[in-house]
Amino acid sequence: MRWPFGPGPVRDENLDEEIRGHFAMAIAERIKRGESPEEATAAARREFGNVAHVKEVTRETWGGIWFERLLQDVRFTFRSLRRARGFTAVAVLTFALAIGVNTTMFTVVNGILFRPLPFRGENDVFVLSHAPTGQFGNGPAMFDATYAAYARSQRSFESTTSFAGGLATMTGVGEPTRLMVTGASPGFLRVLGVSPARGRDFTPAEQLDSADSHVIISDALWRDRFGSDPNVVGRALELDGVRNTIIGVMPPTFDFPNGTRIWRTAPIYPNPHRVSSRQVVGRLARGITPAAAQAELQAFTKRFDEQQSDLRIERPLDGVIPIRHAMVGDVRRSLLLFEGAVAFVLLIACANVANLLLMRTAARQHEITIRTALGAARGRLFRQFLTESVVIALLGGALGVGIAIAGVPALVAAAPSGLLPRSHDIRIDWTVLAVTAAVSILAGLVFGVAPALQSTRRAIRASLVESGQASTPPRTALRSAIVILELALALVLLVGAGLMTRSFLRMRSVDLGFKPANVVTFTVDLPEARYPTVAALRDFRRRTEAALRGVPNLQAIAAVNWRPLSNASIMGDFQIEGGQERPPGFIVLKPCVTPDYFRVMGIRLRSGRGFTAADNESTPRVAIVTASVATKLWPDGNALGKRISMSDKPGPNDWLTIVGIVDDVIQDGVKARPSPAIYQTLDQVHFAPFINHLAFVARTDADPGLVERQFVGVLKSVDPLQAPESVGTMASLVMLSIAEPVFQMRLLALFSILAVILAAVGIYGVLASAVSERSREFGIRMALGASPPAVVRLVLRRTAVLSIVGVAVGLAGAIGVTRVLTKFLFGVEPTDPLTFTIVTAALVATAFAAAFVPARRASRVDPLIAIRHE
Amino acid sequence: MARHEPLSRIELLQGTLDMIVLQTLRWGPRHGYGIAQMIRAGSNNTLQVDTGSLYPALHRLERKKWISAEWDLSENRQRIRVYKLTPAGRSQLAVERSRWEQLSQAIAGLMQPPATEGES
Repeated sequence: MRWPFGPGPVRDENLDEEIRGHFAMAIAERIKRGESPEEATAAARREFGNVAHVKEVTRETWGGIWFERLLQDVRFTFRSLRRARGFTAVAVLTFALAIGVNTTMFTVVNGILFRPLPFRGENDVFVLSHAPTGQFGNGPAMFDATYAAYARSQRSFESTTSFAGGLATMTGVGEPTRLMVTGASPGFLRVLGVSPARGRDFTPAEQLDSADSHVIISDALWRDRFGSDPNVVGRALELDGVRNTIIGVMPPTFDFPNGTRIWRTAPIYPNPHRVSSRQVVGRLARGITPAAAQAELQAFTKRFDEQQSDLRIERPLDGVIPIRHAMVGDVRRSLLLFEGAVAFVLLIACANVANLLLMRTAARQHEITIRTALGAARGRLFRQFLTESVVIALLGGALGVGIAIAGVPALVAAAPSGLLPRSHDIRIDWTVLAVTAAVSILAGLVFGVAPALQSTRRAIRASLVESGQASTPPRTALRSAIVILELALALVLLVGAGLMTRSFLRMRSVDLGFKPANVVTFTVDLPEARYPTVAALRDFRRRTEAALRGVPNLQAIAAVNWRPLSNASIMGDFQIEGGQERPPGFIVLKPCVTPDYFRVMGIRLRSGRGFTAADNESTPRVAIVTASVATKLWPDGNALGKRISMSDKPGPNDWLTIVGIVDDVIQDGVKARPSPAIYQTLDQVHFAPFINHLAFVARTDADPGLVERQFVGVLKSVDPLQAPESVGTMASLVMLSIAEPVFQMRLLALFSILAVILAAVGIYGVLASAVSERSREFGIRMALGASPPAVVRLVLRRTAVLSIVGVAVGLAGAIGVTRVLTKFLFGVEPTDPLTFTIVTAALVATAFAAAFVPARRASRVDPLIAIRHE
Repeated sequence: MARHEPLSRIELLQGTLDMIVLQTLRWGPRHGYGIAQMIRAGSNNTLQVDTGSLYPALHRLERKKWISAEWDLSENRQRIRVYKLTPAGRSQLAVERSRWEQLSQAIAGLMQPPATEGES
């Protein structure tokens, strides 16, 4: 009979039986000695002591008991939670919300920052850079000439490759589309350590043939445009009018550079000027450390820049950067900010649940007292309470994962396109689940400890003599401290969201120099294969303009080569007639426009005249400068009539006469300063790269959506092989240009609203329970003549104390913490007093709103009922 | 030595209770109540083993396989659990007995200094 190893319930029954046997023997013996059965039973019980306690300590000697006891505690917890449905629902939901946002955010962070890249030997892959910083800085890169020389001489890397991505028009597969094409050396995929999922990689021989027309396509393109055709290899597509043959399809996880749909081989142009620069990656040779590679690169660039004065770079962005850093880039900072924000939300939720538990244990004092008296060990009770809080946390965690399942796709969809790299890797995986479970358990322990300690401590003091409703005043200091913490945390988040909102308002109120409302636009990029000459380009523009005139309700139409906020522009220097020196480093935008451009865009003409149809190929060349150009070059205000030239060595026909001065316009985004510009008319520009990229703009009172659709139709009628880009109103494109800060602001606002709601629930809970615990006191006060308003004041005074202390702590915290926002803010200091004031007022108002219901309830306490209650 | 304090406090010396239980079972199988009574009587009421110590000790010893248990029926047909010493328990008892003797001799030596004072 190997009884002790039998299943738990059997062991328990056996122990019961054994103890019954003990009693039977003891009673029998006492009866034999002449005691009455009643006396004998009572004496035996007295002698035996606390049966539950004996069972408990005996069970402790059994192996595996902890697990059994855990199950027992869990079962008990479920029973007791089922009885307290309201409490359970509030606690679980509160925690689930917080875990939901935390899991959602962590899923994104995990996918972008932590999940392994789909590269073999990821830690050996580095981005190499020797690039300008500042105005022309575009992240880590190298000029082609620098790279060519470096690749020949370097010893640190087993292999290197350079690549550059750009948009191209794909035709021949459904509707024409603009998509991102990366041109690289044929070793590109081998350096990264990836292979196509179908078909083959480029062969090294393909490097030599710059006219090679083989491409590898992304999984997304394969699915969307080729219907996952298993025989896609060998099919053709056209890029900018040039036929290409598909030789491979990449696996779905490969998305590098981010957003690429097609990879092709491309030559580099090792021209000894800063003509083109590309990104460079290399795979470290065996036994070389990144530091050694960095040293070699720097030694090389120092030597090289001395020899090649045209390529010299002041304060270059030099380095050997882990590929992950280069891929993740700036988004890391936003992600860490959001992680911080959701951690605050989680802390507040924990505080809330801790408070709920404290109230619950206060209400359960009677039960605890009885259980202690019946032999429950203090440690056992403590464990029981912790089990309860951990069970609540895990329930909330499970529900939170459910929230995250919906939240992750919503977040990814809400993020501006291109902000979140590696979107394919953003999903709830085992890491996320494990972290969520760990965080839930930890949180359960954290918010369970204080209530568990307090309840068991009180259990020891409590005696059965005391009535269930504690006649001593409830200990509320801990609860108050928790509410203060919640308010402080919520205030910090709220200040952050407030600062971001102020920053957004500043951005939106920036004077762009043009009026984006009611302007509809689209852009088209004309490939050389189809539009090889200036005449062909000009013909396309005129035909498009003519077709646009057929669209109803347009007040005016115009075209520009690179419209404001298009993330690209042509900048350069120029000559001034008469030998006047250009201020050093002064370069200007060189937009080319049609005559109505200023009218359509609402750019104010300050003096002189605008362009007219008469300014064409056959008339003298003219220019319009912006106010900043005029004042910089001719401070005396006599810019009109002066002549300038865009050529390095102007011939007689290369001079442009300044006929007008217009306002400066913001070209590069609302955070940038307005750019000085010299406008020319498109009719007088004869250089294809200046006129093969065109944005058409039109001012209209009609429904913009309708006009946009009509524009797409117009382009199709003019050339069905071109794809329109950036179709929309200028106003929407302005919003798009600040999509990232708007997204950051909205997320922070969402988190801080969540935080404020949780904090309000916390205040409400504490006051409500305090009011119900003190209802007798209130009743007595009112019986003794206190008026209902006096009682309300009593409750509100407590609210005021809590919020003042909470706000004070929160403000101190916010001043310390908002500094991390500096890089996210535009035109607002991280300690902006106005934001701090508004936000504080809002939080205090919320606190009082939350206090309203408990306060009113306190004033309606019926003295008779309250006093009789005990 | 006074006898006010019930000596079940000897829990401090857990091994001592184990040894006493093993010793008690040397005279034959016994149930928990019987063991408690026997310790009490055998120590002239000095040692009153608390059930809260006795039952854990019995179950612990059983786990260590120094004693084994069987169910039996009492006179009034109540099932009772009867413990008996195993061979392993018997040798363990010998070990503990010799350790106890060493310990008590050592303590006795310390408590009876050659000096003038008697027992406290």
